[in-house]
Amino acid sequence: MMFGRLTVALSAAALLTLTACGGDPLEEEPSPDSDAGASSENDPTSDGTETSDGTEEKGALTISGQSFTEAVVMAEMYEQVLDGAGYDVTTKLVETRDVYVQQMSDGKVDVVPDYLAGMADYLNTLENGEDAEPITSNDAAASLEALKPLADAAGITMLEPSGATSQNAFFVTQDFAEENSVSTLSDLAEVGPVKLAAAPDCVGRDDCEKGLKEVYGIDITEVVPLGYGSAQTKDAVISGEVEVGQTGTTDGTLEAQELVLLEDDQGIQPAQNLVPAVNTEFLSDNPDVEEVLNELSATLTTEDLGQLNAQVDVERMEASEVAQTYLEDKGLI
Amino acid sequence: MTMMVDAFDYLFDGANWSGSQGIGVFLVQQLLLTVTALGIAVILGLPLALWAGHTGKGGFLAINLSNVGRAVPVFAVLLVLALSDPIGSEQFGPYGRAGLATLIALVLFALPPIITNAYVGIREVDQDIVEASRGMGMSGVGMFRQIELPLAMPVIVAGVRLALVQVWATATIAALVAGPGLGRIITRGFANERTSEVVAGAILVALGALLLEGLAVLVERRLDPLRVARQ
Amino acid sequence: MTLLPGSAPRAAETPQCYIDNSWWCPPYWSDRQELLTDALVQHIWITIASVALGLVLAFPLALLARRFDRLETLVVGGTTIIYTIPSLALFSLLLPATGLSANTVIIGLALYSLTILVRSLLVGLRGVSDDVRESAVGNGYGMSRLLFTIELPLALPVIMAGLRVATVSTVALVTVGSIVSYGGLGNLLLQAVGNQFKAQILAASVLCVLLAIVLDLLLVVVQRMVTPWTRTGASV
Repeated sequence: MMFGRLTVALSAAALLTLTACGGDPLEEEPSPDSDAGASSENDPTSDGTETSDGTEEKGALTISGQSFTEAVVMAEMYEQVLDGAGYDVTTKLVETRDVYVQQMSDGKVDVVPDYLAGMADYLNTLENGEDAEPITSNDAAASLEALKPLADAAGITMLEPSGATSQNAFFVTQDFAEENSVSTLSDLAEVGPVKLAAAPDCVGRDDCEKGLKEVYGIDITEVVPLGYGSAQTKDAVISGEVEVGQTGTTDGTLEAQELVLLEDDQGIQPAQNLVPAVNTEFLSDNPDVEEVLNELSATLTTEDLGQLNAQVDVERMEASEVAQTYLEDKGLI
Repeated sequence: MTMMVDAFDYLFDGANWSGSQGIGVFLVQQLLLTVTALGIAVILGLPLALWAGHTGKGGFLAINLSNVGRAVPVFAVLLVLALSDPIGSEQFGPYGRAGLATLIALVLFALPPIITNAYVGIREVDQDIVEASRGMGMSGVGMFRQIELPLAMPVIVAGVRLALVQVWATATIAALVAGPGLGRIITRGFANERTSEVVAGAILVALGALLLEGLAVLVERRLDPLRVARQ
Repeated sequence: MTLLPGSAPRAAETPQCYIDNSWWCPPYWSDRQELLTDALVQHIWITIASVALGLVLAFPLALLARRFDRLETLVVGGTTIIYTIPSLALFSLLLPATGLSANTVIIGLALYSLTILVRSLLVGLRGVSDDVRESAVGNGYGMSRLLFTIELPLALPVIMAGLRVATVSTVALVTVGSIVSYGGLGNLLLQAVGNQFKAQILAASVLCVLLAIVLDLLLVVVQRMVTPWTRTGASV
């Protein structure tokens, strides 16, 4: 009997191999940079803007993307402007980037609201392996140039990046900032040893633990993997379990919780401009998508994003409603 | 296949086993969590379910309460516990950060198969045999110990075995709250797109499940006096 | 909460329980009624389809395992291994074939349910006493008639117990379908966990539990109807 079970154990190993060779990283929980979780899939209330003005009817279009607040709002905005342009839009939000990139390369997903460095680093790792040198930097234009060939190879075209960026950032409590008079990460290095609550991928990253240690000289004694901008990360900072937490520059909830961002004065964060990613084949069949999305990208600012996020995360408005109000204010629909 | 080779390289590299974030610590935590959670669930659930099965009272309630508890996703329970005040996510002895919250969530998860199987197992013992033993003047306790319990043992043990495997596999979820266990290796690997590390974690969980199940079979044989007779 | 310029009009009418982030927030239930209903409906049919598919797969596996002793280890061990595969890995394997569709979730959850269903089928069938089996064979019953008219009915109480555990577990597991956009209430739950929207966490969890209670009760009713002779059914 036990011997039989050993055989099973070996076949288990074989089975896992197959899994791994399937080409997708395995995962158990929502990924760190998508701590928000699931989608408001096809919220039927969201496509309220019918093309009654006689816009010509175009084909079906599938949007995907991640399902944390900012990505949900972006997907809603994409859906509404493309719907306004006459497309029959379906939105399927997922938890992690690897799910939709694969579907996008297969032509099953047409448009995704994405982030410049996020997409570049992902494709770089996919193409060049786990230990590939990072290709992104604080410079948006250079990062886009580095991303383009990788995206091309995956059958994806990156449109014009928006001026709006959603970079990683680090925060402390207002009390901590005042007591130790810190407003930048360089100031933080003077304070002494600190603990950091962050996404699980923080350790060893140039834009997180490694960069904070090596570029800023901050003495980080422990990194607690509580998630990117998650409620748990904020709780840990507020309760004093850790001094510093990781979130995004567009986090709209900080002020209400008496938390403040520290300035990245040495620029270790790569450029995370919002950028539409479109399946290349779909784009050549439907070239007008480019103009519609670029117009939105050009309008959107980092400050707008922060406000939109806060409307969802603090005022608890629905993402579809938030997106619609914004687009109407800006005359985009 | 290189992924598998990389995963085994990772597993066979002693450096990955040591330290406060090493495989060793997480493996021990996972084992401790599983054994403790299962132990508590058995202590809480079995007597209740056996008594309900024997007397026929309260079984409906016991089964349904525990069964329905399963409908709450474990991670929701875990998050709510870890974020709420009385329990929180403090270090909990050898169980690590958020250990108490993880234990409670896993106990709740382990109860349904234990309770359901024990109750159904006892209730399904052939009535003729029970009546016959009553006719022979057996007391309630004697009947339970000598007739019902031995006959129901396969079903009862199957429930505990299922709970064991499921708790072990589910304990990885504690990583969601930076808690204890092998899930940390999987999450860490995934977050850094180091698939070999993820696969290594998954292999450990799968092998652990099989080993525990094998042990359970051995224990089962000792506990089931009729198994030998039947085969 | 001093809110952002430009959002003032909406802030005035925001229910206080949203601002306070209370667990109990009746306005949430009415505001998002449509969202909740859609998620619940999706949750229900994915659950039912998954368990049904799981049962269809588990049945032949259990019969094989019972027939050939050597296969038992393989079948039970195999379903255990499947259960330990992280859900995203399992879904990623299925994705190229099934895409971002409910099928991905249904197939995945059916596979997860095997570990419960195969075991209960096996234990149930094993529990049928040899005397019964022999007397049926003596009365000229063939293998399939024996299985369907004698063994399965006698094994039903144990099988139904397994089916109930599998169904209720699947209700909880459907939530992981949000990985591929089909998670029913899980879509709402995970999003709410992300921005700690307590009213939504509560609503989605409560609906999960209610759904489980209803499905569980339905199974009890079915069990009573198909096995009127059992004590379990009668005492319920």
